[in-house]
Amino acid sequence: MISMILRRLAILPVILLVIYTVTFLLAWSLPGEAVINDEGRQPPAAVLDAINAQYNLDDPMEFYLQYIYNATGAHWVVDRLNGGDVSQNVVFDLGPSFRNENWSVNEIIADSLPVSVVLGLSAIFMAVVIGLVAGMIGAVKPNSLADLGTLVIALVGISLPSFVIGTVLLIAFPVWLGIGSVGKWGGIGDIFLPAFSLSLPFAAYIARLTRMGMIDVLNADYIRTARAKGVSRRQVILKHALKNAFLPVLSYLGPATAFAMTGSFVVERVFNIPGMGQHFVDAVQGKDLFVIMGVTLVFATILILLNLVVDVLYRWVDPRIE
Amino acid sequence: MQKILAIFFILFAILAATVMSDRPLPEAELTIINRTEFNTVDPQQMSYNHDLRLAYSIYEGLVRWDNESEDFDIIPAAARSWTVSDDYLTYTFEIEPTAKWSNGDPVLASDFVYSWRRAILPDTAADYSNLFFSIRNAKAFFEFRADQLDEYADRPQAERTPRAAQQLFDEAIAWFDENVGLRALNDKTLEVTLERPTAFFLDLCAFGTFSPVHPPTLEAHTRLDPNTGSQQINTDWTKPGKIVTNGPYVPTAWRFKREMFLELNPYYWNPGMVRAKTVKIRPINDPNTSVLAYQTGLADWNTDVTVDFVGDMLKEKAEGNFDDIHALSTFGTYFWSFNCTPTLTGGRQNPFYDPRVRRAFSMAVDKTTIVENVKRSGEKVANVFIPPDSIPGFDSPPGLPHDPAAARALLAEAGWVDRDGDGVPENERGEPFPTVTLLYSTGAYHDKIGLAMGGMWKRELGINYKLEGKELKVYKDDLKSRNYMIARGGWFGDYGDPTTFLDLHKTDDGNNDRGYSDPVLDELLAQAEDTAEPEPRMEILEEAERYTVMETAPILPVWHYNYYYLFQPPVDQDGRPNPGGLEGISYHPRLVQYLWKLRVVTEEDLETWEAAR
Repeated sequence: MISMILRRLAILPVILLVIYTVTFLLAWSLPGEAVINDEGRQPPAAVLDAINAQYNLDDPMEFYLQYIYNATGAHWVVDRLNGGDVSQNVVFDLGPSFRNENWSVNEIIADSLPVSVVLGLSAIFMAVVIGLVAGMIGAVKPNSLADLGTLVIALVGISLPSFVIGTVLLIAFPVWLGIGSVGKWGGIGDIFLPAFSLSLPFAAYIARLTRMGMIDVLNADYIRTARAKGVSRRQVILKHALKNAFLPVLSYLGPATAFAMTGSFVVERVFNIPGMGQHFVDAVQGKDLFVIMGVTLVFATILILLNLVVDVLYRWVDPRIE
Repeated sequence: MQKILAIFFILFAILAATVMSDRPLPEAELTIINRTEFNTVDPQQMSYNHDLRLAYSIYEGLVRWDNESEDFDIIPAAARSWTVSDDYLTYTFEIEPTAKWSNGDPVLASDFVYSWRRAILPDTAADYSNLFFSIRNAKAFFEFRADQLDEYADRPQAERTPRAAQQLFDEAIAWFDENVGLRALNDKTLEVTLERPTAFFLDLCAFGTFSPVHPPTLEAHTRLDPNTGSQQINTDWTKPGKIVTNGPYVPTAWRFKREMFLELNPYYWNPGMVRAKTVKIRPINDPNTSVLAYQTGLADWNTDVTVDFVGDMLKEKAEGNFDDIHALSTFGTYFWSFNCTPTLTGGRQNPFYDPRVRRAFSMAVDKTTIVENVKRSGEKVANVFIPPDSIPGFDSPPGLPHDPAAARALLAEAGWVDRDGDGVPENERGEPFPTVTLLYSTGAYHDKIGLAMGGMWKRELGINYKLEGKELKVYKDDLKSRNYMIARGGWFGDYGDPTTFLDLHKTDDGNNDRGYSDPVLDELLAQAEDTAEPEPRMEILEEAERYTVMETAPILPVWHYNYYYLFQPPVDQDGRPNPGGLEGISYHPRLVQYLWKLRVVTEEDLETWEAAR
């Protein structure tokens, strides 16, 4: 187990380097100038040249290497070793944002990641609860009306785009019923609606996973034995069947949590949530190079680490797995 | 099973801890919604409207506008008084003796020298550095420093040291002190000498970019980059707790894309002027969400409504059902640009190089139909570039009329006549008029406007057209490289003078996306620059507007922009105070709002009013 963890952690930098290289190539080839104002005034040409030179925007190779030098903390270490001129004040410097001039990528991520974690985890909680309940209902009475009902709801959850669900929720709850809020984030009451719209596709998938796993398990010999021993149906489902049916859900939860936490651009936009998801789209449209690479690398790291965590938990929950 | 529950318990604990650690800010006396997060709170780097509105609230320039007066008069702000020399070249400002920064430091004349120098320095990369070029030798200083940095960048690595960079910077400052017409005569007296008489110089001084920054704070966050030799600023100084401002408010909290909180600057010299003592600003990107947020009472004022159904809201207002939507004229014009260069990409002849063709296309467009039936949100039709009645003393020409017959005649005069009866005009060599491409950026209403105009050209002139929507960045690239025939555009003026619009037509101006170059216009603008007397100067500029709008038509103005606000009116039809309404909004087309002038009407106002009756 320990060796598995160490091995996976050792590959992490290599994976990140590959992801960085691909992201860099794609971001660099985006059309347009990085530092230009899309609307409004343009600074004199000499000034633009100077900014391009300062961030190595005129030299892809230099940019590529300098970013590694700053982002890995090498720059920080070298500065500390040399003493004297200490220009690097954060260890892992992910660079500035061109569109939000007062914010560094580090600050942007530090501000938006906790928001995304809250939203993502809340959504996953809701998804697990909704998905397990719906899946169990379906499994206990396959092909019944209840099963059909949960199937339809799951289909709707997967296929309806979140901007439709989000807008409907906003109009139904805060605007008509006066429950919840629009456009703000921070209070506990602000979390439910966006977390719910974000959770639906995950819930639908979990419901299908649970249903399939459960139907398999309920037909297994040991369940029949348990029932024959006189264990109540309810006990069998909750104690014996659910535990095994949950394993596929658990392995799905790793990537699902990572995706939910890095947010959904659409849910963040409709509910005006200051999370990470918006940066993926905004930064690409604005060719905000450092933001594109910063959020991609952070997302990749989270995804890899969460997968590792899930694998570890998997072995812990079910010791048979090697 | 216990293990699974344990996993969820841990996750739940993380979630709860994160939620609990997020302390919401208190409510403010005034809450407003902006369309986007601030680009920057650094006044020298601002150029966006919502950034400048913040500048007017947290900084205080030498003077400000009286935004309720008809002529947008200049009134004292950080300068108590000023004198202008008889040759209109020297301005001497007396700084308000009690003016203080938000840390208690007095506001000094030298703070303005520092801040304006900063705006001119190429190191700062200010979008608006050229606004400062009316100051004597400011442009020369910009070029001096730019050359210096160029030369430094070419030095071998070993000669680019912190010391060398410092030496270079000291040289630049010495040059500045000796040559640039900007001097602090003493702590409270600022003397500005201009390159040539500039009628609108005081108006510039009221503009956000001319606001002062606190030099010690900036200095503590600035260092010279030994690699490029240029000054680099650590943007940390803009964050609450570090930022020091001299205006009515100081930011005390700022959470990215979430909210900014302003509080009364404890050292502001004239606190009586400030009506709401605390202000909260929330950015909401999504237009629909921002309207819904306003409707659920999240804010007192939505500063920029861009939803498609603005027209429907205005209609409801006209029917007396919805008072909250307000359409305000602005200092800006929506237009389409003609590519005015001789050839198109690929070396093809450009028919729009001929001003007669441009005029014909302009006159074939029925703007009233476009504004009323396509845009449908109550804008004023534009036949000129500079919004009429926005600049005192400037009279607008009538502009080109909508006259399809005259348009056809003009096109024929330019040699484009339908010679083979297929409905499309041909030139003398029998080549048909090329299919006109209309370039626009996707994501707004431009496609609808382009479609409407193209249809009119097809109908009236027999021209074939094609729409070409591109992502903003690509559109911008095409515009700059003149890779288009006709493209959507827009412009907002910055200061109260016609040149804020007309300079766009100058040969080689950085914002001249049309490649328009006309010696007659360049000469008129040069003449205006050399004319000190305001009245004859205005006449020259009126001629310049007439010449470009009516004779050479590099642009096709369509409407003058409106801004749409959502706020409850401060009083109802009977003049009764309306609790929750917003007081202090300016309706002047220059459209500058001062946050400190705004106030939400309270129940007490209503009681006082009723008691007085």
